[in-house]
Amino acid sequence: MTFPILTGLLVGLAFGFALQRGRFCMNSAFRDIVTMKDYTLLKTVALALLVSMLGFGIMAMTNIITPNPKPILWGGNIIGSFLFGIGMVLAGGCASGITYRVGEGMVGAMTAVLGLILAAIATAMSFLKPVRDALQAIKVPAEGSSITVASILGLDYAITAIVLAIVLGLIWWFFAQKNKGGDVFDAHKDASLTDKIFKYGWSWIPTGVVIGLVGIVAFPLSAWSGRNYPLGITSGWLKIGQMFMPSVPFENSLKWDMWLIVGIVVGAAVAALIAKEFKLRMPAGRVLVQTFIGGALMGFGAVCSTGCNIGHILSGVPQLSIGSLIAGTSIVLGAWLAAYLMFVRPMAKE
Amino acid sequence: MTEEIKATKTLDVCGEICPYPDVKSMATLKKMEKGEVLEILLDYPLSVERLPRNAAKWGHKVLAVEQLEGPNHRIMIEAFGLK
Repeated sequence: MTFPILTGLLVGLAFGFALQRGRFCMNSAFRDIVTMKDYTLLKTVALALLVSMLGFGIMAMTNIITPNPKPILWGGNIIGSFLFGIGMVLAGGCASGITYRVGEGMVGAMTAVLGLILAAIATAMSFLKPVRDALQAIKVPAEGSSITVASILGLDYAITAIVLAIVLGLIWWFFAQKNKGGDVFDAHKDASLTDKIFKYGWSWIPTGVVIGLVGIVAFPLSAWSGRNYPLGITSGWLKIGQMFMPSVPFENSLKWDMWLIVGIVVGAAVAALIAKEFKLRMPAGRVLVQTFIGGALMGFGAVCSTGCNIGHILSGVPQLSIGSLIAGTSIVLGAWLAAYLMFVRPMAKE
Repeated sequence: MTEEIKATKTLDVCGEICPYPDVKSMATLKKMEKGEVLEILLDYPLSVERLPRNAAKWGHKVLAVEQLEGPNHRIMIEAFGLK
């Protein structure tokens, strides 16, 4: 094992710490809009995307990274990611959400991860592989079509990403100035800086900036290890699952993305222990079944779509990949459908 | 500090996964009369921050958010009377 591979562990520790402190979860981000009209985590996600987009653009311009946008896989991106979106509402967390909550001691997240691993293995290399292959068979335009918003317009990626990040950021800032107020609930305004970092949850601005920066740092380090892509969750869990399979050589699992997962779980556990938020939390048995099924849908969907919410949304959208934009949209729509059926409709009936 | 506040009803959502602590609390508050106080016991960090924020948005009055032990919290909310 080499040092570049182990940087995955370091990035994971920082990522896990930030995820736990910021309670960063795309499931909550997308679902809370329809279930409780809460936009806090959505703003966090949007900010992280803009920070990463700006960073990727600058790094591409200075040749620190070579962008590697995912290709369009219509069947996988639309159907796979839609199922992923439904799955994460059942699982009670997105791929990064359930991963950091394993470190917090949430048993429901552990069963979700178990479902994700088993389904990912089944879909990547076992009895569900034909389904994945069928979903990925539609390739229009042909072969390796890693088209991006920039390539469609005939523009340079780096400049497009930088300009887009700045313009979108300014538009957002402009509207935020117009609609000030309403978002000032801060129970720990007068706390010391140490307490604000280690004891209380981070507010959305520091969370979004730090997660975006972790994504920026992740890209060149992961590429250094031979894996030219920023953050991703599912492939790392898949490799952890493969450690227990005699048919797969153990060294195959010792990769950057596997160490990233180890880092996230440990980093989140450290953050939770310092904040005294670590606790083994056991929901009812039927909830464990629900999160397992949700995790399995996520594992299947992510492998078919070649990415979870982190691979496609946090890492793929800033690379302006059209495939990732399609997958991201499908994840959101799947989450909304599940949230409507599970929460909005039952609550309206009461 | 929350001892002096008298709860009309207690809801224990410890161990619940996202977003059940919020959903169950909001559904209970919706059915309560104006001025009645709901005591919520929960241990999910995200909800400890999100629930007071959203309860206030619906007009309920957040009386106290108290940390008990570790992630365990007690939140006292006075219902707005949405019934």
